[in-house]
Amino acid sequence: MFAIIAAKDMRELARDGRLLWAGGLILVLLLVALAAGWNRQVQLNNERSAGQALDYEAWLHQGYRHPHDAAEQGMHVFKPEPPLGVFDPGIGPFVGSTVWLQAHRQSEVKFRPAQDATGLQRFGELSPAWLLQVLVPLLIIVIGFNALSGERERGTLRQLLSLGVPARSLLLGKAAALASCAGLLIAPLGVVFAAFIVARLPAGERLDVVYRIAWLAAAYGFYLGLFVFLTLAVSALVRSSRAALVILLGFWVVATLIAPRTASEAVNLLYPTPSRLAFDDHLSHDIAGAAGKAWAAHFGVRSQWDASLPLSKWGAALKVDDEAGYGALDDNFGALWDTFERQQRAQEWVGLVAPVVALRGFSMGLTGTDFSQHRDFSTAAETQRRKIQDIVSEDLVEHADPLGNAHFTYKAGPELWATVPPFRYQLPTVSFALAQHWASLALLGVMFCLSVALARYAVSRPLMR
Amino acid sequence: MTLVKSRPLSALSLIVRHEARILVRDRTLPLVCCLLALMVGYGLFVGLAQATLRERMVAQVLKHEQETQTANTGTLESVLAGRSALVPFSNPANPAALAGTLAGRFATIPNAPLAAMAIGQSDMMPNYYRISYLSKVQFMYDTEIENPWNLLSGHFDLSFVIVFVLPLLVTTLGYNLLSAEREHGTLRMLCSQPLSVATLLTGKIIVRMLALLAIAIPLPLIVLLLIRPETRGAEQLLLMLSWSALITAYTLFWFAVAALVNATGLSSSTNALIMVALWTTFVLILPVTMNLVVGLVSPAPSRTELASRTRVATAESLREFENLYSADYRYASDPEALLVKGERIEVPSRMRAFFLAKQSVDEKIEPLLQAFDRQLLQQQRLVDRLSLLSPAILVNEALNLISGTDTRRFVAFKDQTEAFHDEWRQYFSPRILESRAMTAQDLSSLPQWHWNEISASETRWSIWRRTALMLALAFMVGGVALARSSRGSAGF
Repeated sequence: MFAIIAAKDMRELARDGRLLWAGGLILVLLLVALAAGWNRQVQLNNERSAGQALDYEAWLHQGYRHPHDAAEQGMHVFKPEPPLGVFDPGIGPFVGSTVWLQAHRQSEVKFRPAQDATGLQRFGELSPAWLLQVLVPLLIIVIGFNALSGERERGTLRQLLSLGVPARSLLLGKAAALASCAGLLIAPLGVVFAAFIVARLPAGERLDVVYRIAWLAAAYGFYLGLFVFLTLAVSALVRSSRAALVILLGFWVVATLIAPRTASEAVNLLYPTPSRLAFDDHLSHDIAGAAGKAWAAHFGVRSQWDASLPLSKWGAALKVDDEAGYGALDDNFGALWDTFERQQRAQEWVGLVAPVVALRGFSMGLTGTDFSQHRDFSTAAETQRRKIQDIVSEDLVEHADPLGNAHFTYKAGPELWATVPPFRYQLPTVSFALAQHWASLALLGVMFCLSVALARYAVSRPLMR
Repeated sequence: MTLVKSRPLSALSLIVRHEARILVRDRTLPLVCCLLALMVGYGLFVGLAQATLRERMVAQVLKHEQETQTANTGTLESVLAGRSALVPFSNPANPAALAGTLAGRFATIPNAPLAAMAIGQSDMMPNYYRISYLSKVQFMYDTEIENPWNLLSGHFDLSFVIVFVLPLLVTTLGYNLLSAEREHGTLRMLCSQPLSVATLLTGKIIVRMLALLAIAIPLPLIVLLLIRPETRGAEQLLLMLSWSALITAYTLFWFAVAALVNATGLSSSTNALIMVALWTTFVLILPVTMNLVVGLVSPAPSRTELASRTRVATAESLREFENLYSADYRYASDPEALLVKGERIEVPSRMRAFFLAKQSVDEKIEPLLQAFDRQLLQQQRLVDRLSLLSPAILVNEALNLISGTDTRRFVAFKDQTEAFHDEWRQYFSPRILESRAMTAQDLSSLPQWHWNEISASETRWSIWRRTALMLALAFMVGGVALARSSRGSAGF
């Protein structure tokens, strides 16, 4: 019985203009988004790996030079784009991807793409994830709002019930029809795209990406399923198709458009982000404090340029200075990043009214474009910088300090440069992302179950009113 | 209802009165207006909070600058009097130290008076830069600290309420202007009166539009005028006028669309669907697609290449000043060498090398950096042209212009900062090269930052042009709608 209902509804929807036009548009946009994203990713990844190799090459072949000046030249490292970044760019446009590893300067990730874009960027980024999160739910509402109320208004519900169709079959049949319409739109393209991405990867990384795709499919399934059952529930509960449409559209606007913005404003009040000025002041204050203590402990002097600290200890002093700063850097950046993560976690609760917020966090996480993975890269880059710094300082202590005032005449050679290993960054695995975001998935699952329960309640009431 | 054909105006006022009564009685209008007032109020609150934040930052930066200046003067006096110990990196008599770590100079951009009306790009672009002899690649990329997730979500500011939400409220009020009358069977009755459908539509729209505008326009203006004294100038009042005109035009456009949709004679549900489809296209899909198109047609130069070139330039300048970098360095053990002798001071050669090296890096990188700004302005011009396709883009751009939070103003700030940075370096360059000690008089005559506001007349023209365009668009759609409805195709 349920299959007959589903088949009938699908035929009806296929003959109706709504699905054809709206679905066609979404399909075209999906294709455009995938093509543009793919093109961008290939270009960026090629450029970046070439740039990074070039910088390391230049580091190795920089000739004879004072190690401290070598660290001034430093080298660039670039954040690789995760393979699924084409699907969901996440916070990508608003964080940088380039770190210049130089001595005595915390590596900050620079170059936000949004800075090279106009104000239009703030409307959003055309990506498959955006389409699935915002437009496909709208499509489901638009084709499904009158699924039950329409039957009632046309009088066909009466006939159906007189045939003895159980309410459950009716609900499942309608749901299957709506879900298949959305599925037919997304699934073929999704499968082809997934196969394409996986096939192009080296064998070692494939399994990880397949897991990611499976988890993403589950989350998007919950999310879109939620909209299917919610649409049917409202369609069964309210008096007229018009009311159903207005209520559903209202929910969509609030949930996908207004709630995410309100949420981010609200958590900003809860966990305020420091201004750049306040952050910088605090950081330099902490570094100065830590350095002062280290000076006193190691050399019994108050400042870096104390007359009693001769240049024959310059390398040793540099080392002490740098190491004293590490703690302050870790504390300050750690606190800032914790604030960002706390802000995001607090927003995920908004997922209870606006499922898109929970889905967005999960989708970015599993794609590898969320903040925690950006933080992971920043930390790895900073570790590499400290590695270079330590190698340089050791060498200065060993070779330059004995030269006294001729300290800066010392020149190290290629053997020293070669002791700095190339920067190899491994993207975190799927378990890292799941550990960060499992709660969002659970939330989506719960919301999905609630919507099913609501729909079942709606059809269990007398449908003929 | 008795209507006289020769007096269409009285017919109109009759409709307006009746319509207002109905809308108030069935609570639609009060509800929508409350909702709008709430959102406008909240949007304005968010905008004000952000504007205050940025104002405070500029004030703090200027205070910082003042304090550094006072501290430097004090230190210089005691150094010249021989009272304080000499430290090579923090001796203000040394021009290289004063140009660098001791500079404490900032380039700042003040908020425009109406900044609270749209946050625009101000949450991403820095509103101050720290000026020293450091190379542009070292300080021009600093951005404001903000959670990227929040940047992605966007702010709930007044311009969001206007661009995104206002059309939805228009849709709520206007999707069934005629279709409801038809579905209730009252359209036939109305048409039996000496009353044209066009007059009916106009009357219905006037009530709804006045109600929405009576909230959306005066509320923010009054609040701003009350709590922000800087918004009371003639220039600002003119901007507020153009703001009001723009919002009126935008609202009128969406009502005209509603009228056109209603004139096709379809059912209320279908009308609602069409309106939502149009809203989705104009406000969501087109801007996002245009963003992609702008990026494809006029792509920004490669940042990766910039990074590589920066590294190459740095390496070259290190090589160029190799000898200065590796000169003997006896100052830690012999601080007397750094005393001011006559009007001269020995600038440590490594410090001189730093200064020269940064300068040479900038000379090499400058053309590439300029390419980024040029490209951004090029993109902006493209956006200006493409905004004709979507009223949402048009209005959003104009709102940012009015609040002074648009891309152009920030690019201008960057340009002026670069010029000031050059001036700063040029001031110190001869002093460092000729080892001239800084005097107390020099300290009070250092280059001063001064922000030149971008030409107001240009901005004004740009805003009014958009407003006129919006109005023309609204009248065009409205005209077609009225023509169609009076041809009797409203299909009752």
